[in-house]
Amino acid sequence: MISAGIDIGSRTIKLVLHDGADIISSEVRPNSYNAIDICREMLKDVSYDGIVSTGYGRHLFSRHFNCEAISEIKAFTLGAFHTIPDCRTILDIGGQDTKAISIDEKGKISKFEMNDKCAAGTGKFLEIMANALEFTMDEFIESASSAEKGEPINSMCTVFAESEVISLIGRGALRDEVSLGIHHAIVKRSVSLMKRVSIRDSIVFVGGVANNRCVRSLIEKDLGTKVSVPENPQIIGALGCALHKFKTAADSI
Amino acid sequence: MNKIVNPEPLFNDEFVGEPPAKRVLGHVQAKREQGAAVAGIYCGYAPMELIHAMNIVPAVLCAFSNAQIEAAEEHLPANLCPLIKSSYGFVIRDTCPFYAVSDVVIAETTCDGKKKMFELMSHIRPLYVMDLPQVPEEKEAREEWKSMILKVQSFMEKHTGKNTTEEKIEASIKDTNRKNALMRKIFGFAAMQPPVVSWAELYDVIFIAMAAKGEEINPRLEDIIVKLEKRVESGYFHGDLKSPRVMVTGCPVGGDALKIFKIVEEMGGVVVALDSCTGMKAFMDDISEDTGDPVGAIAERYLRIPCSCMTPNSRRLTTMDKIIENFKPDAVVDFVLHACHSYNIESYKVGEHVKNKHNIPFLKVVTDYSDGDVEQIKTRVQALFESI
Repeated sequence: MISAGIDIGSRTIKLVLHDGADIISSEVRPNSYNAIDICREMLKDVSYDGIVSTGYGRHLFSRHFNCEAISEIKAFTLGAFHTIPDCRTILDIGGQDTKAISIDEKGKISKFEMNDKCAAGTGKFLEIMANALEFTMDEFIESASSAEKGEPINSMCTVFAESEVISLIGRGALRDEVSLGIHHAIVKRSVSLMKRVSIRDSIVFVGGVANNRCVRSLIEKDLGTKVSVPENPQIIGALGCALHKFKTAADSI
Repeated sequence: MNKIVNPEPLFNDEFVGEPPAKRVLGHVQAKREQGAAVAGIYCGYAPMELIHAMNIVPAVLCAFSNAQIEAAEEHLPANLCPLIKSSYGFVIRDTCPFYAVSDVVIAETTCDGKKKMFELMSHIRPLYVMDLPQVPEEKEAREEWKSMILKVQSFMEKHTGKNTTEEKIEASIKDTNRKNALMRKIFGFAAMQPPVVSWAELYDVIFIAMAAKGEEINPRLEDIIVKLEKRVESGYFHGDLKSPRVMVTGCPVGGDALKIFKIVEEMGGVVVALDSCTGMKAFMDDISEDTGDPVGAIAERYLRIPCSCMTPNSRRLTTMDKIIENFKPDAVVDFVLHACHSYNIESYKVGEHVKNKHNIPFLKVVTDYSDGDVEQIKTRVQALFESI
């Protein structure tokens, strides 16, 4: 049996095909106003026996494809626990949501916290800030990593933080130090979200922002402990969906 | 067994299918035509038995529409609780039909936002702000609140020309107790496993029962109980046999805030316990009868309301214990309106209590009346159900 998992996020759509032992293939595409068309395109040339959706577009997808939809919290828990079985705390920073999840030794969710509806401290926040500094994402991370110290950013609201960044530049602050300050701000927020669910080792960092090595190393510095990032942190939610399909298929036999 | 659908509706009047406020407005208008005065009220601390005893009909004023907030923000700060902003918007735009027919308005110092908002609207209708003691266990609290009830009585006498006697107030207390007993019986049908009544039906019943006297509404409540008993006999139940049972506690829920109940149902749950001031709170407790001091007895009962404006409000937790025991929820959702500091802060205590004492998953939702965060709330509620 081949199962598929699809994670329709605010910025990207992730697809994973799994055969019960390994990931056969995975794909990440940018999302747009026509999520279902993009999903159809992604699924056109692949074959699978069952599919499960997650992400903010999960209900829309499940209506179109008549399949089960699970929450991102469950999907990321399944995916992260499978990838790193000793994981007890999960941090997922996606395009528009940040989630902290604590799980027990069996992989069951014990507590979760999620940011409110605003984009504060999410991938979108980093994109907007990089834009304000006229950097690409790679340049932005490079710039932050090269700075010795960061300019303090006090606002967590994306809109206010953007004006704060512009004021800092206006005052002659160094671009690299502003970059690092922005990374500090997102890390501070993520760590406080994780503390609300209680932090236990090992910690797994997933979602698109987990690809940002500066965010990862700042979290490690702040917590004083190692944070694991799976090889492809963005697809962990889609992987969780594919694994869930196996679980439900096994239950129904 | 096939699931029975479309049971007989609990009400069979001209207001079926209409928002419950219509039925209450009909009631208020009918009473007014019969000569009653109207007191607009904003809160569960308004002494209903006194109001009824004076031949005044209480009208719960509008406070739950997002559409009124824009107008309110011309005077009020945006980062204020939506309930306060909405209440104020209704008044300054004159869009609340209950306010339009109110002769007087009764207000309370439950929170800073309301207190200061009342100052801004006090010139429009005669308004009395009752100073609510917020440490109810202090021995002076009862006398203070009793004197406030007597003061609001003089205020209503002055502005409506209505008056009452201790005997009438005593009779009104007994009337409330009879009504409350019937209401608790109705809530019992939600406590059943599975429940035979939906949150929307309960909300309808609560809305009218809040405003009406027992003697006016009890025959209908008895009729509703008969219908619910028939549902039990017929095997009808609400929701799915697997639906997680949810208790929603916290800030008042109505109008646009009903999104929280709707999301719970959409995610496959059933709301079995409505623990708020627009829910079961008003009906869960009785007033002492034949004490020789009816106003004092009323004061005592109202000070027992477990509102987060009270401190330390340990009664919130003991009341929750009873509700959890009776209604057996699988999850508890704490509904907090933006900028309602007292419910927001208390939520930590409530969450720890629910998880540690009852071992039930708990979710705090902080929101306003807009629908911009519906998808985010759905994700959380779905994850809450997945964690049961």
